[in-house]
Amino acid sequence: MNVSFHSPAPRTAISGSKAHKQSKQHGFEDMELDGDHEDGSNGSGVKDSTLHVVTPGEVITQDTAFMRGHGTYIENEKVVSSVAGVVDRVNKLISVRPLHTRYTGEIGDVVVGRITEVAQKRWKVDVSARQDAILMLSSINLPGGVQRRKQESDELQMRSFFMEGDLVVAEVQAFFGDGAYSLHTRSLKYGKLRNGSFITVPPALVQRCKSHFHSLACGVDVILGLNGYIWVSAHVPQNLDEIDTELVYSNKNKEDITPRDRESIARVGNCIRALADEFIFINDTIISFAYEASLQYKLKDMNKKEIMHAIATEATTAVDNMKG
Amino acid sequence: MPSLISPAERDYILKGIECNIRADGRQRPDYREVILETGVISQTSGSARVRLAGGTDVLVSVKADIGPVLVDPETGEGADKGQIICNVECAPSASQQFEGRGADELNNELTQMMTRFLSHNTTSLTSTPSNTTPSSTTSSHNSNGAGGINLSKLCIIPGEQCWILYVDALVLDYGGNLVDAVFMGTRAAIFDTRIPKTEVQDLGDGNFDFEVLDDAEDTEIVEGREDMPICVTLNKIGARHIVDASPLEELCTEAKLVVAVNRSGELCGLQKGHDGGIEPSLLLEMIQFGKTLGQTLIKQLDAKIKAEADADMVKRQNGQPVVKLGFFAQ
Repeated sequence: MNVSFHSPAPRTAISGSKAHKQSKQHGFEDMELDGDHEDGSNGSGVKDSTLHVVTPGEVITQDTAFMRGHGTYIENEKVVSSVAGVVDRVNKLISVRPLHTRYTGEIGDVVVGRITEVAQKRWKVDVSARQDAILMLSSINLPGGVQRRKQESDELQMRSFFMEGDLVVAEVQAFFGDGAYSLHTRSLKYGKLRNGSFITVPPALVQRCKSHFHSLACGVDVILGLNGYIWVSAHVPQNLDEIDTELVYSNKNKEDITPRDRESIARVGNCIRALADEFIFINDTIISFAYEASLQYKLKDMNKKEIMHAIATEATTAVDNMKG
Repeated sequence: MPSLISPAERDYILKGIECNIRADGRQRPDYREVILETGVISQTSGSARVRLAGGTDVLVSVKADIGPVLVDPETGEGADKGQIICNVECAPSASQQFEGRGADELNNELTQMMTRFLSHNTTSLTSTPSNTTPSSTTSSHNSNGAGGINLSKLCIIPGEQCWILYVDALVLDYGGNLVDAVFMGTRAAIFDTRIPKTEVQDLGDGNFDFEVLDDAEDTEIVEGREDMPICVTLNKIGARHIVDASPLEELCTEAKLVVAVNRSGELCGLQKGHDGGIEPSLLLEMIQFGKTLGQTLIKQLDAKIKAEADADMVKRQNGQPVVKLGFFAQ
């Protein structure tokens, strides 16, 4: 029954030019489509070894030779930033990548979404983007086999598959004309989420990697949606051949989630939140390091700011040591 | 767009609360960390910002203004008292459910709760519109009124002019447990409030005039502020109750009980929300728990406010500038 009151502290960044360099390179790998910087250097702004961070209204350059990209505008022949973020320079194109922004996805992205609406032959899914994404009835696996054909009765009982509020993991299949994403769950690893808890982080912190479904050593499964929605759940040993296709849309959690499992899930959740608070990229390696770093603290202490900061710092140094 | 939760999440949270492991690892009676700073707005008479680790961010300001006394036409009371006028507003940017007019109902509920708990000297039992039991009032021996604050001290010229304290709370971010944060912020803001001294001159013939002394060093505190109540919100989920609920836990709540208690442990107000029922034995247990936790909260909150005020005073005496982090804080 303890409550603790604190004074606010100024924001302190996690140490290490190493962490910055690593995050820089990761970030720019996505952006540079022609990637012709052979020495591995990035194309950031005018300064080479530091990030060029700008705020709205700040002049980026006065050189008229540059073309302006997203996040900028031209005023009095100067290129001015319109968002708060990092300057991105690719040859002659200057753009600003904002820090906090809605999720903008590509085809093939794995996202976690929440059903907001049930419409005719489709569901509207909130994926923290500018618009709700659409999950068509024809894009889901119907119970009774992967190849089962859609019937009229399916359209009338759409809520027996997904209801408002359900969490789903899906893949972006295409874009609609207005920019809304079209999702599909046409694989047995996608579908309704159970047995765990839901966490939100800023979308920019989840990087694209080979797999977004991770099974950590502590018996916890993590699904890192690229839109910043993360699902942490108890590990359900699943053989993809033996999945009972009738139960894919069930709402029942598994019976035997032990208190130990719950503690691990809560611990992993708190680690992810600690990393997100310090604005560190989130992937399965750093989560594992953070989890190990957190074992020395009691579970309920993990909500304290200083302990979250300590865990994040330790995890970052562990990752740096591993790489460097 | 209303907030949604899936049946699987609801079941997970419910079972977790039963075995005393909440989704973020806390136990049922655990509060999140509170970050508090007073004096963040220089143009007010007093202000405070309260943040709960998890997102809830509330800014409370108190402005002391001079206005005419409010006399109750029936009882004739109020001629020698000041006033406290409260208002709570949730910024639309705080949460997606507050977009457009989504926050109107919540604003009204919180404003009325604040007005009731801070301005009346009776203990009242009420429930929000979803439950239609009639309210009953019992009087407490807190005869000062205004939730402990001495309103008579706020009167300048009886029958004519008085100080009116406008208490405005602005919810900047929603991370669950708004009520507790608003009341903690209000208590801190009132503690931070300094009212200028006034000098009343007798012009004869029953006419009075007054002058407000413009000395920033010589001001008055709000008398009776230590007896102000704060609130503890208890959420009944399943057969158990928790404090300081996160947004997802609030969506699983069957019944919500707000217990307003002052530092002496007296019950200053009670409000029940949501559609579910509470068994009488559980109700008494929750009230008792709320009272105990409330007193602990007040003690720690007061200690923190005092520590901050003392530190500021030391800085001023040494000639150092007092820097408030305000919105540059983490």
